[in-house]
Amino acid sequence: MSNSSTGTGTSSKQRAASSQPSETSSKRKRGVFQKELQHMMYGFGDDPNPLPESVALMEDIVVEYVTELVHKAQDIGSQRGKLSVEDFLYLIRKDLPKLNRCTELLSMNEELKQARKVFESEEFD
Amino acid sequence: MKQSKDPFEAAFEESPPESPVETEAEAEAERQNPRSSSSVVAQPQKVSKNKEKEKEKEKEKEEEEEEEEDNMDVELAKLPSSGDPHKMAKMQAILSQFTEDQMSRYESFRRAGFQKANMKRLLASITGTQKISVPITIVVSGIAKLFVGEVAETARIVMKERKESGPIRPCHLREAYRRLKLEGKVFKRSASRLFR
Repeated sequence: MSNSSTGTGTSSKQRAASSQPSETSSKRKRGVFQKELQHMMYGFGDDPNPLPESVALMEDIVVEYVTELVHKAQDIGSQRGKLSVEDFLYLIRKDLPKLNRCTELLSMNEELKQARKVFESEEFD
Repeated sequence: MKQSKDPFEAAFEESPPESPVETEAEAEAERQNPRSSSSVVAQPQKVSKNKEKEKEKEKEKEEEEEEEEDNMDVELAKLPSSGDPHKMAKMQAILSQFTEDQMSRYESFRRAGFQKANMKRLLASITGTQKISVPITIVVSGIAKLFVGEVAETARIVMKERKESGPIRPCHLREAYRRLKLEGKVFKRSASRLFR
């Protein structure tokens, strides 16, 4: 019980101190993704105004998920010594929606890059 | 729920069984594969339109859960390549029948995304100041967004089971997260297994 109260105590301090930029500190700024998460949760079926505590909890869940994901990717790609996209794609290989979405995003990114290249080269014509 | 499943199942073959509710799974699948192999695209549009109308009526009753189905890529349809005309046409047909509420929710769904800068910062702090390339940011943002979707949809299912309504509450999220863990969708199998 006391653990949870200290937990909330620290978190509220973090919220207050969130205006300070802290790059690699172990403290996580709260509410980093708050605005986007609100829209996202609405898009996925929540209320137009999700509860702030739900958004905060969702943020925690997502950050934890991403952390796990990155750690696993690091373990896979540790031989290369550097994180690469393939590591992530390998990790989600079993999850078809995510895999397809990622390949789609990556190919869109490539398209945009190509389009930009063409655009820039055309400028000098 | 069944009726609403049909137009999409008919039109789009892929429906990975990984999502909690089939309709949501389809929606996600369609979202992911709007342009990919379409082996079942040969559906005449009339049939799908009828089903869409049924679907629409259902929608008005159960908007929250079914919103996720309407994840066709109308915006991608404006992109030049990788356009499957059948799917795009169906998408347009479906979207034209949306109510305002559905449209705004769909719009939020399409547009919401994690900021690249924030994601980069988070990734850098996790990996410990490695340089994070742009594709990695893109991929992780995409994965995270879909994960949010899974949790939110599962939370809605939990609420439906408990017969509650209104905004999603943290208790629903926790239950949803727990269920996803049981299904193995959140890899909690920590990497420390390597060192055991």
